[in-house]
Amino acid sequence: MGKGKGKMSIRHKRQALYGSLYILPSFAVIMVFNVLAIFLTAYFSLTSYDVYNSPKFIGINNYINLFQNKTFKAAMVNTVKYVIITVPIQTIIALVIAAFLAEKLKNKYGAFLRSIMFIPVIVSAVAASAVWKIIFKTKGGVINQFLELVGMSGVNWLGSKSMAFISVCIVSIWKNIGYFLVIYYAGIMGISQELYEAARVDGATSFQRFRYITLPGVKPITYMVLTLGIIWSFQVFDIVYQLTGGGPGTATITLAYMIYTYAFSNQKMGYASAIAIVLLLFVIAINRIQDLFFKEKEV
Amino acid sequence: MGEKKKKRISIMSWIGMFLVSAFAILCVSPLIYMILMSFTQADTLYIRMEDIRFNLQNYGIVLFKRSYDKVLLNSIIVVVLSCLWNGLVSTMAAYGFEKKPVPGKELLFKIFLVTLMIPGQVTLIPLFLIMRQIGWLNTYAALFIPMAGAFGIFMIRSFMSSVPDVLLEAAQIDGCSEFYMFWRIAVPLVRPAVVSLTIFTFVSAWNAFIWPLVSTTKSEMYTLIVALSLLTTQHDTNYGLMMAGATISFLFPFCLYIFLQRQFVEGIALGGVKG
Repeated sequence: MGKGKGKMSIRHKRQALYGSLYILPSFAVIMVFNVLAIFLTAYFSLTSYDVYNSPKFIGINNYINLFQNKTFKAAMVNTVKYVIITVPIQTIIALVIAAFLAEKLKNKYGAFLRSIMFIPVIVSAVAASAVWKIIFKTKGGVINQFLELVGMSGVNWLGSKSMAFISVCIVSIWKNIGYFLVIYYAGIMGISQELYEAARVDGATSFQRFRYITLPGVKPITYMVLTLGIIWSFQVFDIVYQLTGGGPGTATITLAYMIYTYAFSNQKMGYASAIAIVLLLFVIAINRIQDLFFKEKEV
Repeated sequence: MGEKKKKRISIMSWIGMFLVSAFAILCVSPLIYMILMSFTQADTLYIRMEDIRFNLQNYGIVLFKRSYDKVLLNSIIVVVLSCLWNGLVSTMAAYGFEKKPVPGKELLFKIFLVTLMIPGQVTLIPLFLIMRQIGWLNTYAALFIPMAGAFGIFMIRSFMSSVPDVLLEAAQIDGCSEFYMFWRIAVPLVRPAVVSLTIFTFVSAWNAFIWPLVSTTKSEMYTLIVALSLLTTQHDTNYGLMMAGATISFLFPFCLYIFLQRQFVEGIALGGVKG
């Protein structure tokens, strides 16, 4: 190494240059559309900007106005509520089904069931919402037809405030479960079978095996599933846009939906950017809390 | 007693199997409903078997009278460009990160990973303004260039680490060009990851909604999903037509899924387990 050092370092430099060239296209895209974009959003959030005139610096006025805006309050509450409802439900259902399939149905039928439950993941949220909108119809919708058939009264799924929110949750849980199921199943299959065998020999029940082997074994996956689930839920837009349009009133409006309407229907780019920054802070905060929680549990 | 216990367990697993099967049926039933509806002509929601006509009338109307043929072509072009672009750019970057001595690369990689956490709507406004500034609104470029990102690099890099360094060194000593080493040695070895990424890109580009919605203002540049959204919000009563449109949008990713099911699932499991 010593005697060829000069030569090595020229070669090294050339390799470093090649490496940079390989990274360059991704670097450009990520720097412009992600990193620079965040700084621009932060800057626009301090301006009044209607697209046609150049942005005018107004300090934190957007934020002050925002926190007096009732729609914004509703959107914030809805977004958090939405995360709190959908994320645990989809995570638990996915985990339980994955654990069941991994223990009892490691055959072709189990594989078939898994591939069926994955299908909602690949449907576009727009198409899915269009179907669900029809299914949810108060008069003649499939669910209400069924309820009336068994003697119950129909539910005003998309028209009443509380039910509209639940409807949005149902569609997104339906759409997400398959994805997390696949991740969990792969994770559980990665846990050493010997652990389960030993537990079985010791007479552990299937619940005990789930509680003391599966659950700790998939912990890193749970972290990942929660992270993804939270980020997705914070960004929910397609389903709301298509299913309820944020209504009735402000019952299903979310931060993501509000960003879209303020920026592209009302041309209030600065104001919408302030909402975007709040959304970003929310995601960061939740991620921090989640990290704390997961680290604490580890000790 | 032991046998009794076994019997109880097997009953329990039968019940479990029944419940999971029922749940699986519940999962696909909205899509079966969608497909059945697409074959009805009536403006009613009640599906009666006699209303279902297995002809392609609704599909014909959607495709040719609502100019879905144009938007379908747009979607196909955008998806193909997205897959090629994201696949190439991500594989290149993964190779650079894993196999080249770029100073400060680990820090840069961390910054890239952090961008995965950013919700799309946070960068939506500047993205729109930048594209407007450079005159890219209503172009294919605006639709496919932002499809590249940190996810693909992350996905392929873990595969790239299994490409043996000695192989690349040997090739270099043999006087192989840099391009040859990348294209002929590294890329074939990480192909499974590239396939997974391509599937992922296909589905996300095909189903993308908010960005095509804001970046296309001319109807001839709409993607299929944007057109579908208009169809379902404007023609609020012609359910057969709406569902035909929805079924067309579903068909493409579904076919991909049927043919590449193993790679589909492996890709997601890979991202999940390694994440």
